Amino acid sequence: MTTVENTTAQPIDDGTVLSFSGLDVKFNTEFGRVHAVKGISLEVRPGEVLALVGESGSGKSVTSTSALGLLPRNATINGAINVAGNSVDTMTDRALRKMRGDDVAMVFQEPMTALNPVLSVRTQMVEALELHGKAYGKAADARAIELLSMVGIPDPEKRLYQYPHEFSGGQRQRIVIAMALSCDPKVIIADEPTTALDVTVQAEILDLLRSLKDELNTGILLITHSMGVVADMADRVAVMYKGDIVEQGSAREVLTQPKHDYTKRLLDAVPRLGSRGETEPVVQGEGPKALEVNDLVVEYHRQGKEPFRAVDGVSLSVKRGEIVGLVGESGSGKSTIARCALGLIPAASGEVAILGEDITKMRRKPLKALRKRIGVVFQDPASSLNPRLPVGDCIAEPMDVHKIGTSKSRRDKVAELLDAVELPRDVANRYPHELSGGQRQRVSIARALSLDPELLVADEPTSALDVSVQASVLKMFTHLQEQYNFGCLFVSHDLAVIDMLADHVVVLKDGKVVEQGARHQVLADPQEEYTKRLLMAAPVPDPDEQRARRLERYEFMKEIGEEDHGLHLEEAPTREDLMGRSAGGEGKMPPGVSGGN
Amino acid sequence: MSEDRRDSAMQGSPEPLPHAGSEIDDPQFTDKSYSQGQLVRRRFFRHKGAIAGLAVLLFITLLAFTSIGVGGISGWWDKDYTSTGTVLNGGQPTMGWFYLGEHPFGQDSTGRDYFARVMRGTQVSLIIAFVVGIASTMIGTVIGAVAGYFRGWAESLLMRVTDLFIIIPLLVFAAVLGRIAGDSGIFVFALVLAAVTWTGLARLVRGEVLSLREREFVSAARAIGTGNWRIILRHILPNTVGVIIVATTFAIASAILLETALSYLGFGVQPPDISLGSLISEYQTAFTSRPWLFWFPGIFILAIALSVNFIGDGLRDAFDPRQGKDG
Amino acid sequence: MTRYILRRLAISFGVLLVGSFLMYILTINSGDPLEDLRQSTANNREVLIEGRIATMGLDNPWYERYWDWLTGVAGCFTGNCDLGTDRSGTDVLSMLGQSASATLRLVTIATFAAIIIGIIVGILTAIRQYSGFDYVVTFLTFLFFSLPVFWAAVLLKEYGAIRFNDWIADPQISPLQAVIAGVVLGFILQGVMGGPMKRRLFTAGSTAAFAIIALLYFTYVGWWRSPALGPVIVILVSLAFAVGLTALISGLGNRKVLYSTLATVGVGSVLYFALAPVLEEPNWWLLFGLLASAVVVGLVAGYFLGGYSRGQAMGLAAVTAVFMAGMTFVDHLVYAWGGFLELKSRPISTIGASTPNFQGDFWETTLDWGTQLILPSILLTLVSVATYSRYTRSSMLETMNQDYVRTARSKGLSERTVITKHAFRNALIPITTIVALDFAALIGGAVITETVFGWRGMGAMFREGLANVDPDPVMAFFLVTGTAAVIMNLLADLAYATLDPRIRR
Repeated sequence: MTTVENTTAQPIDDGTVLSFSGLDVKFNTEFGRVHAVKGISLEVRPGEVLALVGESGSGKSVTSTSALGLLPRNATINGAINVAGNSVDTMTDRALRKMRGDDVAMVFQEPMTALNPVLSVRTQMVEALELHGKAYGKAADARAIELLSMVGIPDPEKRLYQYPHEFSGGQRQRIVIAMALSCDPKVIIADEPTTALDVTVQAEILDLLRSLKDELNTGILLITHSMGVVADMADRVAVMYKGDIVEQGSAREVLTQPKHDYTKRLLDAVPRLGSRGETEPVVQGEGPKALEVNDLVVEYHRQGKEPFRAVDGVSLSVKRGEIVGLVGESGSGKSTIARCALGLIPAASGEVAILGEDITKMRRKPLKALRKRIGVVFQDPASSLNPRLPVGDCIAEPMDVHKIGTSKSRRDKVAELLDAVELPRDVANRYPHELSGGQRQRVSIARALSLDPELLVADEPTSALDVSVQASVLKMFTHLQEQYNFGCLFVSHDLAVIDMLADHVVVLKDGKVVEQGARHQVLADPQEEYTKRLLMAAPVPDPDEQRARRLERYEFMKEIGEEDHGLHLEEAPTREDLMGRSAGGEGKMPPGVSGGN
Repeated sequence: MSEDRRDSAMQGSPEPLPHAGSEIDDPQFTDKSYSQGQLVRRRFFRHKGAIAGLAVLLFITLLAFTSIGVGGISGWWDKDYTSTGTVLNGGQPTMGWFYLGEHPFGQDSTGRDYFARVMRGTQVSLIIAFVVGIASTMIGTVIGAVAGYFRGWAESLLMRVTDLFIIIPLLVFAAVLGRIAGDSGIFVFALVLAAVTWTGLARLVRGEVLSLREREFVSAARAIGTGNWRIILRHILPNTVGVIIVATTFAIASAILLETALSYLGFGVQPPDISLGSLISEYQTAFTSRPWLFWFPGIFILAIALSVNFIGDGLRDAFDPRQGKDG
Repeated sequence: MTRYILRRLAISFGVLLVGSFLMYILTINSGDPLEDLRQSTANNREVLIEGRIATMGLDNPWYERYWDWLTGVAGCFTGNCDLGTDRSGTDVLSMLGQSASATLRLVTIATFAAIIIGIIVGILTAIRQYSGFDYVVTFLTFLFFSLPVFWAAVLLKEYGAIRFNDWIADPQISPLQAVIAGVVLGFILQGVMGGPMKRRLFTAGSTAAFAIIALLYFTYVGWWRSPALGPVIVILVSLAFAVGLTALISGLGNRKVLYSTLATVGVGSVLYFALAPVLEEPNWWLLFGLLASAVVVGLVAGYFLGGYSRGQAMGLAAVTAVFMAGMTFVDHLVYAWGGFLELKSRPISTIGASTPNFQGDFWETTLDWGTQLILPSILLTLVSVATYSRYTRSSMLETMNQDYVRTARSKGLSERTVITKHAFRNALIPITTIVALDFAALIGGAVITETVFGWRGMGAMFREGLANVDPDPVMAFFLVTGTAAVIMNLLADLAYATLDPRIRR
């Protein structure tokens, strides 16, 4: 434990806005001491983006939180942390609070919960301004409106007085960024700022952050697990694994010529668009298709309003032995279709035929018999298995429900399935909470396969997993599909994942099919604007390639008339202007966009 | 580290805990493995208040039932709670620091041994409390589960009944029912009380079921073709066990307070049977002249309710240590 | 919004109707209304029995009796209330007047006291989680939770009333008692204020010293029997409150708010003297009017002096105004204590809701009510405080774990602001849901409390009515308490809608 006297530290001017030196953090938990960060050193300079990459448990979030002095009470911290030359670890309470928001600001991951739901946006934005003495009262209001228009919120004078729940997720993240900017901090720490957002929204937010560094010369510490985001944003990269920094260097170096094993593994695991090339389409012989959806309409009823059409006339099909990738962003209706295909949600109209039989018109008993031939894998490893049942029982559940096999034959089958999903056989006696996320998803897959299904519905099965885990699970999944030859409806928001697996692709937007066709066609040569937009927004883990893609995207956006990205500095109205006229004008390209890294 | 620094660090928000195990899909188990039951038990026994409560409750129960016996089986105490006799020494308690004496709790105005009476009252109150607690739990669980899972009429019923209980206080309703059922014996009375105390638990169970049925393993079970009842019994209810057990203990504690209050008002246990509440009502005016007649039953009620409440608190912390000390 | 309220009212009305039906049927079937007469050995037994059958309508079938009652109640809407008679023929409506006001007074005070104290204690224990203070409060909470109300009432009668009355006849505080009181107070305050060990010792020590000296001084000058606060204390305390409130909510750096609250105290001081003659013999309407004008004074001061923090200044100044008005009220009461003791040498009574034949001025009468109310109110409050403080504590702890609290901290807001501005309002939202249920529990508690303290309130009407299988008094009880519960419920719903903007839009 370092003992430091309470001397008023002189600001050290070494040119960095944020630096860690030998940072070491331990936590006391129920299970003993956890060594989260094991002595790391990092620095961020003004106008530079340093990306801190790692998977869960790497310690990256802990590192970033320590810079603000916000770690929980059971943490023991050693080492030096410097913000804008001032030493954080020796600061008094009051100095720390002065620093937060003023010298360093933080943008968190979950925009939906980052804002206080009972306070208006104005209250939350103005309090930082008044606290750090930047502006008061009416002046503060004006500055807040200025900030909101800078980050691209339309109609800011009116929206300033609204509440967080009246904004979308992407907009809320913009507001959070505006709040972070409000006191002109020297460094911004962004902890997975786009992980919870759709890929198109992510691209916009990243544009915004990039122009921060270009226009305002802010230093940015970007925490992320996505190599694509790193390639898009970072000047320099540090890779963290289990509390250590295993590799550090410029983005180009680390991403194209990784030296450490872990970095190599991480980069290999990232699914890449276009890596698979063209494949043969699946041919199915006689007989009904695995799944056939015709003109499906699903509605949700709301009190006092029109029913909401989650799925609006969708038609698609899955042949036996074929993997169909169902792609879309949030709200596209892809999960709803999957659930409808499983008979979990009733259809308002249209036909859903599984293996030739229309489930929208079936009675319970024949439907139950049909269910024997369907498997399902869901997304969230934390809740996909019943925590009270041992793993073996979870896997054997379908056999139990349909009364197939004897106790012994079921046990054998469970063992066989565990082999197939590459888990040790003794896992059958363990409980789900003892397994990691990836292991639990493998168990889910084993359960889905237990009755040799002819149709498997997978709803984002790997989205909640770390990249490297996802890669191995997907590889295994592909092998299993070849082995068992089931038809699969694979739902995902990640185009690269779809590219790895699917034979046929269906792109959804707002409950309608935008485009569908053979995988190679749709992903390499999309016809529709939305598909193009989706493809362009997905970042790839090579900085030069990503830059080229980004410029392509800007061109494309200009063509379709939407160039709403980056800081609107030219448009930020002066205070006098605010009285009377509304903000916003023609979008102009911020100058820094075509600049280099 | 400087004092101020630590203070400030203490104000930070709890982070999602860094996982001690590896996330690179490693089929080895680096964590020490604990089954859920073991975890719960471990946490429970660390809760000092709960252990103390458990000890006190066991002591009182054993004392009450073994001292004067119950249901025909006789106990080790030589006097019973009905026979009158001569009043010795103004009926004062003969209990000292190291000896019990003839009448450790004293005698009442007709010379009956007060210890025996208090023991009998404790028995009655304990029996009623446990029966009410368990019966109301069973009713509440069934109705709550049906309301939460199937919704529809069960849910409406539950909501309306809850509304009713917002308007009619529990005590009032129970008093009226107690008046009807008071002299039909302890068990009938207990069941009648259970019939009015299940709503809180039902609402609790309904809430849990509502959130559980959205979980993916329930959706998966439905997709597999599992029938509704199997889902409720095998998937949903086992995951509500923690909440239910905790609620039952608190239900028992409030049952004992309800029953003694009713008996005090005269709408509960009727003579010749004794309840701790009726004892207090009988002798409340004697407080200045013969305080022991007043103190003992009250202390027993307090002790029982307090220990059950502490046990409940320990159970709650054991099942859901979200606000745990170590972050 | 209004549609929501109307819908809730309609449902409540329906529930009241069904409830009344249930209560009536259950009550008339709960026993034998002629039991005592059957067992009597009087000569005119038969006549008495017939008489009672006629008075209570025992010959009529149950639905007719219920319908009669219902139509009688319906008459209330047209100004023709008929709530029936009890079994001896006394009109229930006339019985209601006195008893309803007594019970409602009790229950209302207890509810608000429990909510305010419970929430404050809950927040403090949440902030000071796992401190010694927290453990002590938690234990006390459990104690009050597990306390049988009727038993505690008798204890309270003995120690709260009888011993106090004995003491006030010749009030002495021995040095030892003063020391104990001082130490306890010091312990509480240091637990609440927290901080490093040195500061805690200082807080505890200075509080204890101050308390000990004050207690001994008061005894010496005989303050206990003829107390007075005087303008100095009123103004000083109000100033302290103004400063404290500003420091808590806005921070002392916010001069506008500070000036607003201080200005309010200034105006209040002037009014203190100016209104003195009016306050010699006021009535309740006058007092409420003055309270309203105090609020206006606060709002005006905030409006003119508030500058850029106008809204907050107005609100806080209004609160300060209310506090100062309250202090003035208390000052007059305290001043009347001496004369009050002359009229009533054993001030805290244990029987009844107001002393019969009490002739005193307004203040002395109010003191009389107060001393009657204080013990039952304490009792009822204790029971509910436990619930509110536990609930607030867990709600607060959960709120403090939310993301937006982390965001607030990362902006550099002080812990105090984070708690009062960000966490507090969110934590309050779930509490509104338990208010309604807890109110019902309070009414039940009131029944017991009134029995113990011998009040002729609604509780007595209920208990005696039920014991005698006499439906009309019981139904009157149900009507009053049920309606009160519905109103309380509605207030809670409104509070919920006010606190949570997601409901409104």
